[in-house]
Amino acid sequence: MTITIDITLNDEPHTLEVEPFDSLMAVLRRVGMTSVRYGSDTGETGASAVLIDGRLVNTDCMLAAQAAGHDIVTLEWFNKPDLHPIQAAFVATGAMQSGYTTPAMILGTWAMLGENPDPTEDEIRDMLSGILDRETAYVKPVEAVKRAAALMRGETPDPFGPLILPRMTDGKNPTPHDPADPRPEVSEAVPRLVPSIDVPEMAVVGKPEVKVDAVKLVKGNPAFTDDFVERNQLVAKVLRSPHAHANIVDIDDSKAVALEGVHAVIHHKNIPRIKYASGGQSWPNPHPHDQVSFDTKVRHVGDRVAAVAADTLEIAEEALRLIDVTYEVLPAVFDELETMEPGAPVIHDEDDTEHISDASRNIVHHIGAMRGDVDEALADADHVFEQTFRVHQVQQVPIENHISVAWLDSDERMVVRTATQVPFHTRRMLAPLIGMEIKDVRVIKPRIGGGFGAKQEMLIEDIVAHLAIATRRPVKLELTREEEFASSRTRHPQTITYTTGVSNDGELVAQNMRLIGNTGPFGTHAYTVQTVTGLRGLTSYNCPNKRFDCDVVYTNIPVPGAYRGYGAPQAEFALEAHMEDIAHSLDLDPIEFKRKNWVKVGDELNIAPHLGEQAVLEEELDEYPKVMSNGIEECVSQGMRAIEWHRRDDPAWVAPADRPNIRRGLGFAFCMHGTAIPFLDMGGCSIKINDDGSFNMLIGATDLGTGADTVIGQIAAEVLGVALDDIKVYSSDTDVTPFDTGAYASSTTYISGTAAKLAAEKVRDRIKERAATLLGVKEPCSIELRDKRAYAPDGSSVSLEEIALDSLHVNDHEQIMGTASYVSPECPPPFAAQFVELEVDIDTGQVTIIKMVMAVDCGVAINPITASGQVEGGMLQALGYGHCEEFAFDDNGRMINAELGPYKIYRADEMPEIETYLIQTMEDSGPFGAKAVAEIPKDGVAPAIRNAILMATGVAINDLPFTPERVWNALQA
Amino acid sequence: MPSVLAYHRPTTLDEAVDLLAEPNRRAIGGGTVAVPEGRTPTDDGVELVDLQALGLDGVTVQGDRLVIGAMVRLGDLAGTSTPTNPDIPDIPELIRDLAKRELPSTLRNQATIGGTVALGDSDSWLLAGLLVHGTQVHLHGQEPISLEQSLEECVGARVVTAVSIEFDGEASEGRTAIAGTGRTPADVPIVAAVARRTGDQLRLALTGMAPSPVLVDPTDPAAGLEPPGDFRGSASYRRHLATTLSARVTGELA
Repeated sequence: MTITIDITLNDEPHTLEVEPFDSLMAVLRRVGMTSVRYGSDTGETGASAVLIDGRLVNTDCMLAAQAAGHDIVTLEWFNKPDLHPIQAAFVATGAMQSGYTTPAMILGTWAMLGENPDPTEDEIRDMLSGILDRETAYVKPVEAVKRAAALMRGETPDPFGPLILPRMTDGKNPTPHDPADPRPEVSEAVPRLVPSIDVPEMAVVGKPEVKVDAVKLVKGNPAFTDDFVERNQLVAKVLRSPHAHANIVDIDDSKAVALEGVHAVIHHKNIPRIKYASGGQSWPNPHPHDQVSFDTKVRHVGDRVAAVAADTLEIAEEALRLIDVTYEVLPAVFDELETMEPGAPVIHDEDDTEHISDASRNIVHHIGAMRGDVDEALADADHVFEQTFRVHQVQQVPIENHISVAWLDSDERMVVRTATQVPFHTRRMLAPLIGMEIKDVRVIKPRIGGGFGAKQEMLIEDIVAHLAIATRRPVKLELTREEEFASSRTRHPQTITYTTGVSNDGELVAQNMRLIGNTGPFGTHAYTVQTVTGLRGLTSYNCPNKRFDCDVVYTNIPVPGAYRGYGAPQAEFALEAHMEDIAHSLDLDPIEFKRKNWVKVGDELNIAPHLGEQAVLEEELDEYPKVMSNGIEECVSQGMRAIEWHRRDDPAWVAPADRPNIRRGLGFAFCMHGTAIPFLDMGGCSIKINDDGSFNMLIGATDLGTGADTVIGQIAAEVLGVALDDIKVYSSDTDVTPFDTGAYASSTTYISGTAAKLAAEKVRDRIKERAATLLGVKEPCSIELRDKRAYAPDGSSVSLEEIALDSLHVNDHEQIMGTASYVSPECPPPFAAQFVELEVDIDTGQVTIIKMVMAVDCGVAINPITASGQVEGGMLQALGYGHCEEFAFDDNGRMINAELGPYKIYRADEMPEIETYLIQTMEDSGPFGAKAVAEIPKDGVAPAIRNAILMATGVAINDLPFTPERVWNALQA
Repeated sequence: MPSVLAYHRPTTLDEAVDLLAEPNRRAIGGGTVAVPEGRTPTDDGVELVDLQALGLDGVTVQGDRLVIGAMVRLGDLAGTSTPTNPDIPDIPELIRDLAKRELPSTLRNQATIGGTVALGDSDSWLLAGLLVHGTQVHLHGQEPISLEQSLEECVGARVVTAVSIEFDGEASEGRTAIAGTGRTPADVPIVAAVARRTGDQLRLALTGMAPSPVLVDPTDPAAGLEPPGDFRGSASYRRHLATTLSARVTGELA
């Protein structure tokens, strides 16, 4: 029964026909309010919030009918040629990464400042408490609101940029921490930048440039997959398994097919059985290829059973209810140790999956690597320590769930617009599943609302493509939050056992890492994640004898896959806890013990080449890769000062007399990560000049909100001597842009940035040649590009516009352009020192995180604002991993906390203080000295919390997360 | 079948009561819980009855009680909504604080106190605060009942028109203390204790220990309670928390 409602929308009266079940969000999007975004149906994300009668209210958990008679304002109300001061503040401070929830933040700010022009930070954080953000840790949004308030009060705040700090060390040796040395007192949003004398001053690189996609994001303009609607678009829904393990005996879809408004129902009976692996990885995808689009067996709660395309979401949902499925329920297994036991249910008993190591024991892979003789060295060691750690299942939780739209274009090629980190891999992997050739598939990645590895996967693109073929109409599929939890991807749970031999003088002599990785029912990313766990777990510290011994096993939990950090957070938790405990056992200072053993400039990464997709044997190597830049000593010194490390030695601080139930602790973790996958990750770039001397840059690189488009644009602008605004970036469209492996492995700045630098250098060289002709200079190499002009040694110059017009319209006509690609033979590690301050309530076990400090050596930060944003957001997710986030299941494998509150995402009003230090080093292999920054912030928080709890209470806990009951139980033991 | 079959917005209480007397109908205050649940596909579908037009959004002092209309938003109680509602008089500090803790900003701007009472969520800070404030629940067409009784009887099917709390100027606020244990500072507590002392009277309420928040004996707070266990806290841990947190808040008010 349709209802007619009258509302005022952005000052205009509207009369709308709505259904009783329509959410206000759906109706507002239907009338073009693309700034109103879906994150859940429960109001938990705040992405859908608008102002109703002046108040910030979620529209996903509100019926359209409830809004009748009310005054609604969306961000589109602000859509004027000039930015509103609030929008300007969000842009200036880098408060947007993906920008998915930015509209709600801006509206909330506007409402608050209308009544309270000078809010406190607590008031700002409370206002933001209803808007979840997995990217910024709320650091820069809070700063943006403060800045907006100042602007609206008529003040002129200083330009937002990094605070430049002097070095505390010579870069090689530790410097004793002087407690009297005050830490810098600036807003936490300001990145503290410690320059290196090896890095020259540059015009665009290293500057806090505004993101190139800022305007579309801050205005809420159409930018994301769901913002572009195709004519006659259908809606898809997926029928999912209620069982963790079952055979599908039969499917009867007749009633669903007969339902009016249903256009297709697909399942294993009508979709070809073609094996694949869904992980978005380079060709050839690692084995086993143990998935098909629709199988005769389900292997986890939430697994695919069938899919429907219908006129509306409600019809699609009703059609799912009409599909009769007969299951033969099978025993299920969830634990990575139990699944290998005799008698455990066999999860892959089909006969068409190859390369499972031992299907009868659910062992997908056995992975091994060794240097030296570990057994002999352990036998001879002065001290031997063995510990086992259990790490749990968590999810990436992008606020934008997985969403894809597919259609056959007028040439009957398949076009898929999708929220993906890997458009080119998706194209290659999708084509055979739908019986098409790669040349007939186009994948377009618009802006995406966070990925964090969850979207390094061909997760739902095959479903919409199958349905588009079946219906000959565009089809959209958007996962609900519950589906996102149950059916997208997660971090791998693992059981890690370290056995370490140490000499009397505190040097590691042998280290054995036994890993059992739980990959759920499918092996996507199973091999590579576990090898990264081994890589990170065995390369951070020098040791002549090392062994990695790993089994990856199938279970019936939701599917693990890629998650920012990619196996490293698990390894670093176990390693840094283990090293901490060894130090205590030997009565050594933990940092000194770690320092004695951590890798330094010139040290070999002596097991790295033997792990990963490009693993080689020792005899195939000419030499082992070495550490060529390492700023860890400066990181440690800056971090110790920031966290006031000396307080560890003050008993009155540790056990405050006025709070007898409280113990305070400080924790440290040494972090080392990688930068791209050597000999594998590849990026391409194409640049051409325009009539006005600006440039179009096409890159395959995939900006997830990280600022990749901006950073790569800065690199090209630096080479070409122009402002960033003169580089117009278009990325991630397989028909248009060059190939790129995608956004993962901390590779984009290093790999795609180098490709852009090389392409820009080709363009620069050609510009110089033409400029030399125009200026009458014999040596083009003597020409210098700056300020959008080409200068001869005598000071004469010609503008790039004049050069462009000459080349395009006047003499020796040509399109000045350059194309380049890059794959690296190296993988330079970034380093970091992670510190945490916390309090433990020893009567309840509750842990409260007070402050987190990360000082990171990411080489040269191309953009210190976006780089620090990566560190802040990474620490937030790492905090959730260590402290509170977890998948909880009932006995049948059904997740019982598939909402963001029970799962527990940190909110703005409960965040600890965060400080970020960018310690410059010059990495010669990187573009303008850059290394990676995106993933290393995920590595150190959990072990630093663990080690701080140990310091505070004397209790060592080896399982994650540090929830109150777990800590309390440990305190009672 | 569509999940929400019909939407009603009655303009009188009698009309609302009549509508809700029919099967398969459910009242919505702010809708933060009822709308997501209602929109979940079911065999039968549901009709939703929106109470926003009943004039239940005022706060008045009636004798020695502060009467809070059922449709008053938690954001107004907390004093965090902007624009501020000028019709909301001073709310006791404990209620203000707990209304803020109950939900994050956007949901707080939407959720109502009537909905909170009707749901009776075991983990509700605010309900615990209302319990120690001697709250009565006003139901259309009958005498007010205590919040305790309301929670025991699950009044969701009836129309809550208001709640009223003891209010006799500043003195009635008494002295209050709260303590809760959660995974993070703003987490819904696994167990929380809320205490209020007025003169010689000490009231103590606990969350997370029963199907809804309960008033307990301050001298033996966990007596007779059989708390649920879940992934956040086992039953035995909850009993420990109940004892520990109760001692903490009562000690603070001693």
